[in-house]
Amino acid sequence: MRLFRNTGYFFKEAAKVLWMNKVSNFFSFLGTILVLFLFGLVVSGWKISDRFVEMLQKEAEISAYFEENTGADEAEELVNVIKTMDGVWDARFVGTEEARQRMQEILGDEAYILELFEQNPFEAFIEVRIDLSKMDTVLEQVKYLKGIAYVRDNRDILKQLQDISRVLEVLMVLMIAAVGVTTMVIISHMVRQAIYQNRDHIYTLRLLGGPNRFIGFPYLLVGMLLTLLGGCAASLSIVLLLREAYGRMGGILPFIPLPSLEDLVMWPTLAIMGFSIILGLLGSVFGISAANREKRS
Amino acid sequence: MIEANGVSLQYRDGTVALNNVQLKVNRGEFVYITGPSGSGKTSLLKLLMGIEYPTSGYLSVLGRQISRRYAGKIRKMRREIGPVFQEFKLIQGRTAMENVIMGMRFLDISTRDLKQDAKNALAIVGLEHKANSRVENLSWGEAQRVAIARAVARRPALILADEPTGNLDTENAVNILQLLASFKDKDTTVIVTTHATHLIDAQKDVTVVHMEKGNLTVERRGK
Repeated sequence: MRLFRNTGYFFKEAAKVLWMNKVSNFFSFLGTILVLFLFGLVVSGWKISDRFVEMLQKEAEISAYFEENTGADEAEELVNVIKTMDGVWDARFVGTEEARQRMQEILGDEAYILELFEQNPFEAFIEVRIDLSKMDTVLEQVKYLKGIAYVRDNRDILKQLQDISRVLEVLMVLMIAAVGVTTMVIISHMVRQAIYQNRDHIYTLRLLGGPNRFIGFPYLLVGMLLTLLGGCAASLSIVLLLREAYGRMGGILPFIPLPSLEDLVMWPTLAIMGFSIILGLLGSVFGISAANREKRS
Repeated sequence: MIEANGVSLQYRDGTVALNNVQLKVNRGEFVYITGPSGSGKTSLLKLLMGIEYPTSGYLSVLGRQISRRYAGKIRKMRREIGPVFQEFKLIQGRTAMENVIMGMRFLDISTRDLKQDAKNALAIVGLEHKANSRVENLSWGEAQRVAIARAVARRPALILADEPTGNLDTENAVNILQLLASFKDKDTTVIVTTHATHLIDAQKDVTVVHMEKGNLTVERRGK
């Protein structure tokens, strides 16, 4: 109860502590904004790449080609069998004419080459959309179906994309660790410095019987306020940057399927704010306990 | 209230500050601790506040044993003490009122009463008009009165004043001692250290503890 009763006092004390070292605290604040901003950028990058891989995974497909003399009924039967397999999203028959049209679309102006063929050179096949994680199993099952001659897959490309996504995930984990350590070092150092400068004040409160939580709370607030304000500033910068860059990204890299702007903005903002609260709390607690250890030694 | 049984205090450098001290102080007593510089007055006060712990013997203050083992309880015990430190220990950059209130924030005093009690305490020491002055702008005597106001505003069971007459002329020293004496009642014990024995020679209804090289003798004076 007394802790709530003194809320106003705690905030005033925290403001006084921050004001006491305004230059050094200002630079700590800037450092925190920058670190959290970089963290926000990595989260945005990860979100985009995650979406990209997710889309590619949804689009992952294999093509199953028929043995010679496979009739339409057999082909339809095969499509139905494949559809029931675990790890298959969808399967559909692509006839020779559709295969030719697709190639025409891909070749564009160069499609006249196809006119040089007297007969349609393309074979009919089954287009199978699959769950990428189950690709190996599906491939094995489809390959050995009676009536299927061979199967083509884009596994190598998909594996590479998965590897890129994993690298980005590792990078994000490393970034989280770097941001965590850097922010905590900044905050705990600042809190420790503030405690050192107010050591006479703190000692007097101890002599008067002030409980540790009463004495330490303003310093906890200092760390929390600094990271929260830094988090707000970093989030605002990220929001402004993403709003500005979103349209341009779509123009420059049209093949990248971007998440919606709301989604893209929400994730780094939530991550920054959540992280800043946790780091502010931990940094302050470390700072206070480090100052206590120094006092005892 | 205070019970010391064979209490000794030896500092890390080997200095013996107190030697086998026997002392009993009852609730509502006014006690002077006198003696020359280095006789152990401040060391005894430090023990009573739980700033130092006895190296041997038993010491209890306000019903709590002073021992390293009970450090947490000693912190709580300090909330029942109104200390007036030799160097005041006022918080710089704050007003007299803020300093008085600071000592009460963690006590069971309602928010409404905090300011009023602080005001009253400043009025008692004659500094109501300086309530909003920063303590670094006050004179030595005024700062000392703020320290006394901070101590009494806490409605303590025990007031401990370390050399409150130290840097004052005789007239102001007498005034301060009279002020401290006015806080003594059936529930409040006041202990004052001073080396100015001439100021207390004629005082009645007090206990005088004479200290000399860590040893003490107790003289109880009737009314």
